Parts: sequence; C-alpha cells; structure tokens
Amino acid sequence: MSDTTRIMAHVIPWYPDRAQSMDAVRGLVDAGVSYLEVQFPFSDPTADGPAIQAACSDALEAGFTVADGFAFLDEIRSFTDIPIFLMSYASLIYRPGVQAFVARAQEHGVAGLIVPDLPPDYDEGLYTACRDAGIACVPVLVATSTDTRVDLALSTRPEYTYVALRTGTTGSRTELGALNMGFLEKLGASGTKIFAGFGIQDAEQVQALAPHCEAAVVGSAFVRTIAAASGGGVYEAVKERAESLLGRK
Amino acid sequence: MKQLYNDFFGEFGGRYVAEVLRSPLDELEGAFVEALSDEAFMSEFHRLLASYVGRPTPLLHAENVTRDVGGAQVYIKLEGLAATGAHKINNALGQALLAKRMGKPRIIAETGAGQHGVATAAVCAKLGLQCRVYMGEVDMRRQKPNVFWMEMYGAEVVPVTSGARTLKDAVNEAMRDWSANFADTHYLLGSALGPSPFPDMVREFQSVIGTEVVSQLSDLGVRPTTLVTCVGGGSNAMGFFSPYIDQSEPELIGVEAGGRGPAQGDHAARMNGLGTPGIVQGYRSLFLLDNDGQVMPTHSVSAGLDYPGVGPQLAHLGQTGRVRFERATDAEALEGLQYFARKEGVIFALESAHAGMVAIKRAKELTPDDAVVINMSGRGDKDLFITARELDAERWKEFLTREVESL
Repeated sequence: MSDTTRIMAHVIPWYPDRAQSMDAVRGLVDAGVSYLEVQFPFSDPTADGPAIQAACSDALEAGFTVADGFAFLDEIRSFTDIPIFLMSYASLIYRPGVQAFVARAQEHGVAGLIVPDLPPDYDEGLYTACRDAGIACVPVLVATSTDTRVDLALSTRPEYTYVALRTGTTGSRTELGALNMGFLEKLGASGTKIFAGFGIQDAEQVQALAPHCEAAVVGSAFVRTIAAASGGGVYEAVKERAESLLGRK
Repeated sequence: MKQLYNDFFGEFGGRYVAEVLRSPLDELEGAFVEALSDEAFMSEFHRLLASYVGRPTPLLHAENVTRDVGGAQVYIKLEGLAATGAHKINNALGQALLAKRMGKPRIIAETGAGQHGVATAAVCAKLGLQCRVYMGEVDMRRQKPNVFWMEMYGAEVVPVTSGARTLKDAVNEAMRDWSANFADTHYLLGSALGPSPFPDMVREFQSVIGTEVVSQLSDLGVRPTTLVTCVGGGSNAMGFFSPYIDQSEPELIGVEAGGRGPAQGDHAARMNGLGTPGIVQGYRSLFLLDNDGQVMPTHSVSAGLDYPGVGPQLAHLGQTGRVRFERATDAEALEGLQYFARKEGVIFALESAHAGMVAIKRAKELTPDDAVVINMSGRGDKDLFITARELDAERWKEFLTREVESL
C-alpha cells in the first residue's frame, strides 16, 4: 500500500453505549486512521442511510445528549490529537444558535464542522461563524452536483470538501466509476482537500480512492463492525477492520 | 398579483437539504412554476377535479347547528366529499399530473393516517403511474383499512421501521428513496411543508378549496366573518385560507391537536409558544423540539394532526397575527364528531372535528349577521376503528370478536 492511504473514520458517540463507542474510537486511532468524523445523533437524519440512522436512534435511546457529545470529544482529546470533524444536522446547530454551537465546537477542539442540510446558500451564517472561530466548515457535494453548485461551495474557499460519491445515501457498496473519479479530479484541482465517502466497504475501494482525495470516509462499515462485536471486543474488532481497510493486514 | 413561488415566508421556509436533493428540487421548482402558468395543464387539472375528484364540493348551511348555537350562521365546506374522502386528493392529482409532465413514471409518497397515501395511490392508478407509499410501521398497524385500499389501487406500501415509526419517519424514508431515484421518480409530498417548492406547490393545488368557498359564499350573498379549520402540516388550511391571506378579513382560525393536554408528548400543538424555531426535514419553521434540537414525540387521537412541525407559511401567518391558532383536545374532537353527526347528519373526520368544536365556540360569541365557515377537510368513515373503540368499546369488541371467530 502507499503511505498516502488515509481514512476518515466515522463514529457515533453512545452507539451502542458510551463505553463501547469510546472503545471504537480507541481502536480506530490505534489502527492509524487519519481523521475522525464524529456524528452527533439527530432524531431525523434524512441524509443518512438505514444503518447509520438506526445507530443514531440507538445512541439517542442510550441517552446521548449534546453536552455528552462534547464531553466525549474532550475525552478523545485527552489521548490523541487526531483532527476531529463534527458532523450533525441543522436542527442541533440551529437550536442553541449557530454562533453558540460553533463557539462550543471550537472550545472543544473540533477541527471542522460538516452539516449536510446547511448548504452555503441556506447556511444560517454557519460559514461565517466557522471562519470567525478559525475552524473549517466543510461543504458537502455529490458527484452529480452541477457546476453552479460546485462553484458555490468553492466560493466559500473551503480547506476541505466532503464528496458523497454515490447518488443516494450511505450504506450500500459504491462503484468507483468514471463519473466519481472525474469529479474528484476536477474538484481536487481547485486546491480543496477532499474527504470522499459513502458506501466504502473494502481495502480495494480505499486504495482506488487514495490518489484522488485527502482521505476516504468510512462510516456504515464500522457501524456494522461495532454491531457485530457489541457486548465484548469492540476495540479489537474495529481496530482490525480499520487496519484491513488501510491495507495493513 | 400573488406570487406562486416564495421559498421563504418571513423567517420560515427555505430549502435546507443535503446537496443530493438540490437538483431534483431545483428542477421541480422550474416545472411547477411553468406548469401553473400553462393553460393546457391547468385545464386538464380542473377537468379531472370535476370528473374524477367530484368538485366542486358542497358548501352546506348548517341550519340545525346554527339554531342550536344561537350565534353566527354556521357553514360547512364538505371537502370530505371529494373522492377518497378528504382534501388530500386535490394536491395528489396536481402533483401527479406534474410528474407526468416532467416525464417521471414513478411516484413515491409518505403517509401518516393513510389519507394522503390513499389519495396518491388512487390518482396514480387513474393516471397510470407506478406508486410506492412509505408508512410507519406503527401507523400501518393502526390504519390497516387504508393499507388495504392503497394496495387495492395497486400501490406498494412499504413499512418504515426506523425512528418513531410514524409519519415523520415515513418522510425521512421517502426523502432517502428520492435521493437515490430522482431521475425517474417524483416525491409527492402531501402537506404544505418540507423544502421549497413544496409549501408553495401544495398551497396552490389546494387553493381550489378556498376559491370555491369564495364563489359559493358570493352566490349565497354571504360575507364570512370567520373561517376555521384544523392544522396538522397545513395543507387544507393553506388551501382554504389562500384567497383571504392578503386581506385583513375574514378572521382566520387554525386549530391544532391539543391531545390529552399541554404536557410534553401529550399533544401536537406548535403555535402559541409551544413550538420552537428549528430546521427539520428541509425547512425552517416551528417544531416540537427538546433543548438539544431533537424532535419530540407527539400525540393526537387523529393521526392526521400528529406531526411535530407546522407548515412554514402558517408559522409565518401565526407570527404576523393573520391566522389565530387555537387547540382542541382529543375529548373535544370526539364530542364534535358526535355533535355534527346528530345535529347535522354529517360525520367529520377526527381531524376536522377539532375545527368543528372551536367553530361552535366562536359562533356563540357572534351574531346572526355573522357567518362562520368550517372546512370539513375529511369525512369520518376512515376513523371507524378509532371512534368505535373510543365511544362504544364493549359492543365494538363483541363485533370484532365475532368477526375474528367467523374468519
């Protein structure tokens, strides 16, 4: 494998409970993933697939609150300085006030925010608030986004851009076809660093993506690993899965 | 001239969606604006409203109720006499025709109680479109007869097992399907909410209700003092109120589900300080949210009013004071149902019965020179399994037991 193979690993605090979700984080960090995408669960996550939606419901039932989420980030910070991107939905950001939420994220050491339902033209001031707080606001694009939409996202001069590779939502296997690759090449030429994801299940896909992006995002694959190992051995199972996806096993 | 497409209504509305849904919504906005100014499209819509839906629906002078109440004249717009039993079919027909015009042979829809699903399934059968309806598993169990009818019309009814397994979860699932399949699929959303252009589009297709009321009242020489209707998401209310919203009269009253009372989780009322501004399912409006922004559980005896958010234009009209909001409880709705059945020979849907009770209270405060118009958005046949259990449990149980034994 090349040393440019990087993974952004997606985790949901409190899935399936607080302790095991932290075990998963430790497994991911020890396996050598490069970025964490921590999703604060929302009751109605319209942009997620069934696996992640179900995991978010479970996390909420297990008692997740936003305050718990930030404490979870603090604990991660206590043992690693891996960049953490906080992903959630508009409702959770808008409820306390966009500026207040961004300030809180910044205080807890978040590198950037990913909020799919606050696109740049309906952002409630999110992009400005992030710029003022000195954290990244990561626009989300799809490979079928029109030039106008891509230009709009790039007009925010994003350090990072998140690309949802497949049309549809997370969870099913994505074919890395010419459309996806062409899109990544074109977008990458603008200088933004790309997190590319949705549906990545195996090392081959991670390898194929590596030259075209900053990191491959892996989400529902880890959700499935955690579900299978829940009750004992989450740390080992997640670590092993991440190592395998990184091509180290 | 009134604007077809607004996007925002004051601070509410918008198109807060993940990027994948942008192009279908942008495409829909263009197609909707174009179709509504195309005479051929509108004449086809009106032709089918007359011959298939059964419009115009009657405006009944409720003379017995008027005498009994001893205040204002009471009129009932019998919208529930439209095909499939509720106003839902006006919008279903309009959007299905639009989908055909856009070259989309597949329709998906969400449904809660099942009325929007039944209307959509019927219209798809009539227009030769493929139809899939998402319905929460809990709602499917509660509303089995509507599932049966949807399937009779040839629709595929898909149970939604995520989240609370009710209407809002069916919306999530429909949006997910649309994200993956918008090239050949139209999402036929049933209420005046969601990301733009849905609130504008649903209002326009439902405005036939209000337009008919204006002309029917004018034929009778009556000037309305007050219009009253129930508000779930707001599709019947926006259609009924639409000719009047830019005027200062008549008084407009929207009635929300007061459920078992004002405690959290016991009702589905979002106005008058109970809801908070939020962004959920693609639009900014007033929602029942906790302090973190999570959507709260709701309750109403009528499944059609049991949704945690209100349409953005109604939220705005509530804020400006143009529409006044009140609540009716489960018990009041059941009382209203019986009252109108006995006095006037009309069986209201439980949703509409909420409005009936508030209208009577308002009529009592007015004079015989005033007129109160209630929109009976649906008829009550569909509620048989709920109302019989609530009002006549013993005998209903005996009947069901015999039925089961005879199977």
